[in-house]
Amino acid sequence: MKESQNTNNIVYDIRGQICPSCLLFTLREVNTKRHALKNEGVTIIIKTDNRNATTTIPEAVANMGYLATVEKREEGYYQIEIMAPPQ
Amino acid sequence: MEPAIYTIIVFNLALGITGGFIMHRSDFCVAGMFRDFFLFRHSAMLRALLLLILTSMILFELGRRLGIIRLYPFPLLGSPSLVNLAGGTIFGIGMVLAGGCVVGTLYRMGSGSVTSAAAFVGLLIGSGVYAEIHPWWKGFATQFLFQKDNITLAQAIAADPGLVLLPCILGGAFLTGLWTKQEKWDQSSMVSGYMQPWKAALLLALLGFLSYLVTGMPLGISTAYAKMAAFMERLVLPDHVAGLAFFQELPLNYIIPFTGTPLTGGAGPNLDGIAFIQFPLVIGIILGAFVSAVLVREFSIYVRIPARQYISALAGGILLALGSRMTPGCNIWHLFGGLPILAMQSLLFLAGLVPGAWIGTILLSRLILTVPREAAE
Repeated sequence: MKESQNTNNIVYDIRGQICPSCLLFTLREVNTKRHALKNEGVTIIIKTDNRNATTTIPEAVANMGYLATVEKREEGYYQIEIMAPPQ
Repeated sequence: MEPAIYTIIVFNLALGITGGFIMHRSDFCVAGMFRDFFLFRHSAMLRALLLLILTSMILFELGRRLGIIRLYPFPLLGSPSLVNLAGGTIFGIGMVLAGGCVVGTLYRMGSGSVTSAAAFVGLLIGSGVYAEIHPWWKGFATQFLFQKDNITLAQAIAADPGLVLLPCILGGAFLTGLWTKQEKWDQSSMVSGYMQPWKAALLLALLGFLSYLVTGMPLGISTAYAKMAAFMERLVLPDHVAGLAFFQELPLNYIIPFTGTPLTGGAGPNLDGIAFIQFPLVIGIILGAFVSAVLVREFSIYVRIPARQYISALAGGILLALGSRMTPGCNIWHLFGGLPILAMQSLLFLAGLVPGAWIGTILLSRLILTVPREAAE
C-alpha cells in the first residue's frame, strides 16, 4: 500500500478500497506519523478514487490541525496532500 | 410479448440509467449514510435520505388522492411479520460489510469497483443459499405474522392514509425548514460533476414516483439477484433448481395499471414479470454509473486491494442477499417505497436495519482498520 517514500513525501496508493477504509486508513497514518508531519516537514500523499474521501479526509485532518489539498490527476484519481500548517 | 411489456422494459432501463448516473454523481450510498453516522457522526447524507422519504411520501399520497396511483398498497408488500425485523438486521450488517447496498453495489460496479463486483458475486451466492432454506424460513414468517390482511399502518388502525401520513409530513417539513434555515443542505466537494445529495434525493424520489405510476410499484431490484442465481444454478444443477420451492413461487401477480396487462413473476429461472421489471433496472443502474464515470474520466479498475476487503465485500454480499430474501425486500424497496406509505413490513425492516448497520460498522472497523478515536471525532 505504501508506494514510495523520499525525505519529505510518503505516498500511499489506496485506490479501489472498500468504503470507508480510505478515511480510516488515512486517519491512522496521520496519527502514526504525527511527529514527522509536525516536526520534519513530511507530507503524506494519498491517491484515491473514492469521490467521498476527497471531502471526508480534508475535513477530518483539518479537525486534527493539518492542512490538506485535493487535486484531480489526469489518470482519473484524486491526490490528497496532507501537511502541517506553517509554524 | 405484448407492447406494454416492451414499454416497461424500455421505461425501466431509462429509469435505471438515470438513477445510476444520479447515484454516482452524488455518491448516494444508503449503506454509507448509516455507517458514517455510527462511525463519524456524519449526518448530512441521512438528511438527504429523509428528504427522499418525505418527498416520496407526499408524491405517493398526492398520486393516490388524484387517482393516478391505482394500486395502493402496491403489489408484493404483505402483512408484517417479525422476520421483517430479523431480515433488516441481517441486511444492515451486510450492506456495511459489502461497502454498499443492493443498488450501491451496482453503481459502484459501473464505475469500475472490483470490491463491489465481489459483493455482487456474494449477492448471487446468498440468493442461491436462501433458496435452500426458504421453506424453513417461510414457516417462521408465517408463525410470526401479525395484523393479517393489513399492510399499512393506516389499514391496521382503519384510518384514512392521509390522516396517518399527515403528522409525518408535518414533522418532516419542519425539519426540512429548520435545516434550510441552518444552511445544512449543500455539501462542499472538490470532485468533478458533483451533484448535491439533496438534489439527488429529490430526483430519486421522482424516479420512484414515475416507477409507481407506470409499473404500479416503486423501485425494487433484489429479486433480480435471486433470478440471476437461479439461471446460473440451472446450468449446473437443473433438476435441483426445478425442485426448489422458492424458484417455483410466483409472488408477483397483478395487472399493470395503465394497460390492463396481467403480469406474474418470481425468482425462478424464467423470463417473467420480475425479469421484465427488474433486469432493465439492474442493467440501467450499472450503465448509468458507467457513463457518469467515463464522462468525468474516473472509470478505473483497480485490483490491488487487501484480501480481507474482498472477503468482507463477498461476505457482505451474501448477507445482503439473505437479508433481502428473509425480509423480503431490500432497502430501496422498503425505504424508498414502503416507508413513504407507512407499510408495516418497511417500518419493521428499518427497525432492524439500524442496529444491523451499527453491528456491521463495528465489525468493519475491527475487520479492516482500527480508528484513532481522537482523529475520528
